[in-house]
Amino acid sequence: MNELSTTLLTCALWAYVAGMVGALVFQRAERLANGIGFGLAAVGGCCGVLSCASALATGAATASRSFELFPSLIPYVRFSIHADALGCFFGMIVSLLSVALSVFSLGYARGYYGRKNVGVLGALFNVLLLTTTLVFLADHAFFFLIAWEIMALSAYCLVSFEHEHEETRSAGVLYFVMSHIGTCCIILGFLLLFQASGSYGFDSFHALGDKLSVGQRNAVFLLFLFGFGVKAGMVPVHIWLPAAHPVAPSNVSALMSGVLIKTGIYGMTRVFFDFMGTPPNWWGVTVLAIGTISAVLGVLFALMEHDLKRLLAYHSIENIGIILMGMGAALMFLHSGHSMLASLALIAALYHTINHASFKALLFLGAGAVLHATHTRNMEEMGGLAKRMRWTALFFLVGAVAISALPPLNGFVSEWLTYQSLLQGFGTTTSLIRLMFPLSGAMLALTGALAAACFVKAFGIAFLAQPRSEHARHAHEAPFTMLLGQGILVAACVWLGLFPTVFLKLLDPVTQQLTGQQLSQQLSLAGGLVLSGGSAQGGTVSTLGITLMLLCLLPVPLVLWVLFARRSRTRIGPTWDCGLRGLTPQMEYTATGFSKPLRMIFKALFRPRREVQREYDFSPYFTTTLRFESHVEEMFQTRIYRPLRWLVLRASRRLRALQAGSLQAYLIYIFITLLLLLMFAL
Amino acid sequence: MNPIQPELASQLITLLAAGMLVIQLLMVVQAMLLTNIRLFAIQSLLLAGIAAVMAYNHNASHVYMIAVLTIIGKVIFLPWLLNRLVQRIQIHQEIEPLLNAPTSMLICGGLTLLGYVVARPFTSLDRLGNNTLAIALTLLLTGFFLMINRRKALTQVLALLTVENGVMLAAVALTSYGMPMVVELGIFFDVLVAVMVLGILVYRIRENFDSMDTSKLNQLKG
Repeated sequence: MNELSTTLLTCALWAYVAGMVGALVFQRAERLANGIGFGLAAVGGCCGVLSCASALATGAATASRSFELFPSLIPYVRFSIHADALGCFFGMIVSLLSVALSVFSLGYARGYYGRKNVGVLGALFNVLLLTTTLVFLADHAFFFLIAWEIMALSAYCLVSFEHEHEETRSAGVLYFVMSHIGTCCIILGFLLLFQASGSYGFDSFHALGDKLSVGQRNAVFLLFLFGFGVKAGMVPVHIWLPAAHPVAPSNVSALMSGVLIKTGIYGMTRVFFDFMGTPPNWWGVTVLAIGTISAVLGVLFALMEHDLKRLLAYHSIENIGIILMGMGAALMFLHSGHSMLASLALIAALYHTINHASFKALLFLGAGAVLHATHTRNMEEMGGLAKRMRWTALFFLVGAVAISALPPLNGFVSEWLTYQSLLQGFGTTTSLIRLMFPLSGAMLALTGALAAACFVKAFGIAFLAQPRSEHARHAHEAPFTMLLGQGILVAACVWLGLFPTVFLKLLDPVTQQLTGQQLSQQLSLAGGLVLSGGSAQGGTVSTLGITLMLLCLLPVPLVLWVLFARRSRTRIGPTWDCGLRGLTPQMEYTATGFSKPLRMIFKALFRPRREVQREYDFSPYFTTTLRFESHVEEMFQTRIYRPLRWLVLRASRRLRALQAGSLQAYLIYIFITLLLLLMFAL
Repeated sequence: MNPIQPELASQLITLLAAGMLVIQLLMVVQAMLLTNIRLFAIQSLLLAGIAAVMAYNHNASHVYMIAVLTIIGKVIFLPWLLNRLVQRIQIHQEIEPLLNAPTSMLICGGLTLLGYVVARPFTSLDRLGNNTLAIALTLLLTGFFLMINRRKALTQVLALLTVENGVMLAAVALTSYGMPMVVELGIFFDVLVAVMVLGILVYRIRENFDSMDTSKLNQLKG
């Protein structure tokens, strides 16, 4: 890293620290605390983006050296930072979101004035940003774990920020428990690596996998897959995600969904590609399979949700699945020695990581603005918001198009790259396992289609038609800062979608570091206007071209109207209402109704239950009261976690016999242990 | 100062340590509480003697400090404190152990044997006081047994103190120069504070349960 970007990086870290301290010091003066806390976070984000992007663009990241943040007094612990290409890339993501989310929060936190302590919110927000940045840059296992743990704890505090609600508290505890189970596995993994290398520095772990025995390697892989998988939210350890994301304040949900779960992806990339050397085939197969399952299940559960933020949380699981698909394919290619294809798949995964961060954060901010205006997360109580919140609706639509992988926005680009790598993968081996590639490609297509359906539902129900409740009727547009925060992310989505070949240059140092290949030249054709699949069998696409074509098509209806329809008479009348007396919101298509066909198709998965109670006086056609309930089984809760919890509780009840309450008994336990240890020493 | 003959010092230390062991076994069978406290004081005095011999032999001044501290703390202050406590709460003088004296003696014999067997690899080392490790271990184990065997909180405190004597014996006798001063001071104050706290606890237990029998504490269990 060169002088400038190191300075900027240090500035960013100090800005977060100053933001934390400032927000706490001025917590009595809410406005000041808000301004200092989130203002400095935005400054820090700007510095971070500039630092990381310049390091990646100038290639300084490849030649960077690690340096100590501050000297440590404890042996085995070093607080050293190494902004290498991979770390810089993820650091860029967190800094980008930091800018947009902090600007948004300046407006959003006003909603807490007089109710909650804004200073604490701002301070915790800064701590989370700081520690997440450090997680990406740490060059030492202990430092990494310390940052990781503070990150998890500050995220826990932020999730439970509105702790007066029972739902929030239990979601916070669930996150806390899951996160620590994951951390436990990560610590074990690092200990195994330490055993082999004799040092906790990341530089000593590099390509360590080839020196480990087969059993150790596989143990390390499984421990890290599980540990980082919990944080990333892959199926089946995803359950904390749909619980914790909705209850957190919206700026925090955006940060969690955009960056926090990406720390899991970062960890996996770091360990699997940097530390483990050439992987065995089953690693890639496992990751690809988990990714495929996560993607499909995530989007299916999202379809059944009527809580806007829970819906978005399930989509995070889906997108993590897509990222893991790319990563799994890359691991399989590394095994078979196709480093070009491995780089392509890895690029797809990393590209999707930054894309998901930008559009998911955008959608969460949109949901936050809606929540701010309507005070409800239930979509069935929204409706008609497009007229009342024009800009928010437009921004949400951009996010929805991006996440549905429609051209020309960024979601399309990375999913297209994922397809390309999967389709080309079919030819790499002759074993039966190659069927995995087209199968997961098909699943990815299904996922994309279902995601589009889901966002048609989300946007249509929430923003279109008539308001379904009083809250929605009195909704108002969000303040300027909140719109500006979303606007930054919209710009990012559009830029990443229209100019992929420019962005791919930033990924060159990353793939150079991890697979030894640089692909940006091969992937861009026609002077960067066309994106290519990288080889003769691969396809080509140009999002810029698609956009230009769409723009050219825009005037066509106008021309046709001028040519043929100008003479025709225009008549304005009421919408046809089947002869009833006017249309009411009750007649609108509901979210439940919209998703019914899919609920029926995937009946085996959802096991929908429906209860209808009607009371009538003389004929069932004239109902006096009607009660309707519809449930979808949460498969993982009922099939895996509930039995597991039951087992744990039963085991603890058995163990309680040890707690006799007698001092003598406890002393005897200790005494017997002591005697056994002495015997053991003999 | 001329160091005394190593053989003489070694024999002296062995003699004093053996005395500690004998007193420990006496405490196991002694039924009177006040006598027990006195026995503990004598045991501590022997410990101080060992420390003094070590200090003289190695010409190490800070080990003298330990001897002095042991005399002040364990020979004078703690017995006085425990005596006062016994008088203030006016408890029954007789200790009611869970196991009778012959059985206790048999078990302690077994524990002594174990202590010697475990310490055997170290007794071959040609160093001053190396044969005391077995005794230190035995003090530890029998002290533990005493703690289990007795019901009243006060007698358990006393047993804990003998365990601590065993630990101190190992520390003084084996490390030849003693442990660093800081560590020993730490241990010493630990014991002091522990006894203070336990003394208060004993008082409270008696107030709340009208008894010092710790087996009644299981009423606290939820």
